[in-house]
Amino acid sequence: MRKKDIPYAILFLVLLAGGCFMLVPFVWMILSSFKSNLEIISSTSIWPQAPSAEGYVTVVRDAPFMRWLMNSLVTSTAITLGTLFTSALAGYIFAKFHFRGKQTIFVVLLGTMMIPFQVVMIPTYLIISKLGLLNSLLALVVPGLVSAFGVFLARQAVESIPYEMIESARMDGSGEFRTFWQIVLPQITSMLSALGIFTFMAAWNNYLWPLIVLNDNEKMTVPLALVFFNSKNTVNYNVSMSAGVLIMIPVFIVFLLFQRHFIKGLTMTGMK
Amino acid sequence: MSKVHTLYRQYRLDRRFILLSLTPILLLFLVFSVVPIVWGIMLGFYQYSALYQESPFIWLDNYKNLFQDEVFTQSFWNTVKFVGFAFPVNIVLTLLIALGINKVRSAIWRNTLRTMFFLPTIAPLSGSAIIWSTMYKNDGGLFNLTLERLGLDAVPWLSDPSMAMWSVVLMTLWADIGFNIVIFMAGLDSIPVQFYEAARLDGASRFVVFWKMTLPLLQRTTLFVTVMTLISYFQMFPQFQVMTNGEPQNSTNVLALNIYTNAFQYNSMGYASAMATVLLLIIMIITLVQIRLGRSKWEY
Repeated sequence: MRKKDIPYAILFLVLLAGGCFMLVPFVWMILSSFKSNLEIISSTSIWPQAPSAEGYVTVVRDAPFMRWLMNSLVTSTAITLGTLFTSALAGYIFAKFHFRGKQTIFVVLLGTMMIPFQVVMIPTYLIISKLGLLNSLLALVVPGLVSAFGVFLARQAVESIPYEMIESARMDGSGEFRTFWQIVLPQITSMLSALGIFTFMAAWNNYLWPLIVLNDNEKMTVPLALVFFNSKNTVNYNVSMSAGVLIMIPVFIVFLLFQRHFIKGLTMTGMK
Repeated sequence: MSKVHTLYRQYRLDRRFILLSLTPILLLFLVFSVVPIVWGIMLGFYQYSALYQESPFIWLDNYKNLFQDEVFTQSFWNTVKFVGFAFPVNIVLTLLIALGINKVRSAIWRNTLRTMFFLPTIAPLSGSAIIWSTMYKNDGGLFNLTLERLGLDAVPWLSDPSMAMWSVVLMTLWADIGFNIVIFMAGLDSIPVQFYEAARLDGASRFVVFWKMTLPLLQRTTLFVTVMTLISYFQMFPQFQVMTNGEPQNSTNVLALNIYTNAFQYNSMGYASAMATVLLLIIMIITLVQIRLGRSKWEY
């Protein structure tokens, strides 16, 4: 071993130890999910002594668990598709067309990104309630259909498409919307997949807004469900750990499969 | 003549396209973004509650009450304490980890380490908060079980007012350092290798290279990371509501939680809006100062 290798080995081991620490809570979640009710109460050991599926049984039996997963899946998908469509379309218009007040509107859009959610959540709640959407899944979807950040990213991506490409489509007599759909969209797919992943994750994990607008157990989304199990079973936390496993592990697997896109998307949104 | 005619026709078609596609999008923005901002700030001047018919205009009374409200003052300082500690630690830690991972020679290990640090950011914060609250349990929680094994005294992680905030800070750092690590790593990757070679030829020490070259070249990334992290830390909510709900003795009651509690538990929406406006002002001032200070002088 060369002398230079020793600091490198230390660096590597420190990073590895840190990386392992990051996984500890998940390992703890999985281990606790297999403890029985009795063992949770009197637990003096980290490892489950007599592995039991009581927690999982309670989750699936006592709660509309599949319903909650579906609620999250449907609303997050709708929000993502809506955001992608409106962002791409508005981004295209802001990048390639001229109209009165364009700059002003764009600056106002960017400005809304700085506003903390705490300021808008009360009026948005009142608007949603006036529209009669309280306690409905639409209350999650409708305000989430547009994103200032998305428009900003899309405008930047569309700006790099050469004018000639769009002009030549027009010359061929293609309608504006078809030009957008067939010429512009295929050029910005990598930006769209990045924005899509970002939007989906934010919608899937959103906690505060669903907490405000949803009341019925039937209507809950996944982040609320996790807290629901916790407040119902403060003592037997093996139940909430089981729910956590059932909700998080599939997402982790999807993440590991598409990891490259995730990371690329994140850095792309971060660097621009 | 016909060219002018075609141009005019194109112009009309453009108008129609813009009008048809942009109107619904801008309408959504108006209703769910612009109107709420204006309304939210205005609500701060009213005694508004969803429970009452009357909502009188009370000018600055909400703000006057804020400064006499001990819970508000406490939540203000708790927010300062949380952000003031968690934010710098986050930036320094993520930059160091990103530098470290980028030094790892094998690409497979680089990716594996990055994945390990990034994984917690995929999980919903509310779920992570629940996992951590079971790890922090006084009896039978992971941390105290481990301390016990090592023959040390148990620590009242979430039940001691002088301790609870630090426990939430630790959990928050665990939950979201992955984002900044990934962004810093990409920023470091985009610095051309030639720069490092030139510095080495000049005989610059590692510390000088980092301080005089890497850090200035990383300015754009750093600006993005610091602005986004600060804005999000000022609004942190799930872990405070789930793990402690502001307890013990309001020691973890931050502005975001206080606003939620006032608006949706006590139904004092006007008062909560005044609080939210204070939060808005803090975030705006800090963001503008950051953008001023961090404006990049470098292009590469």
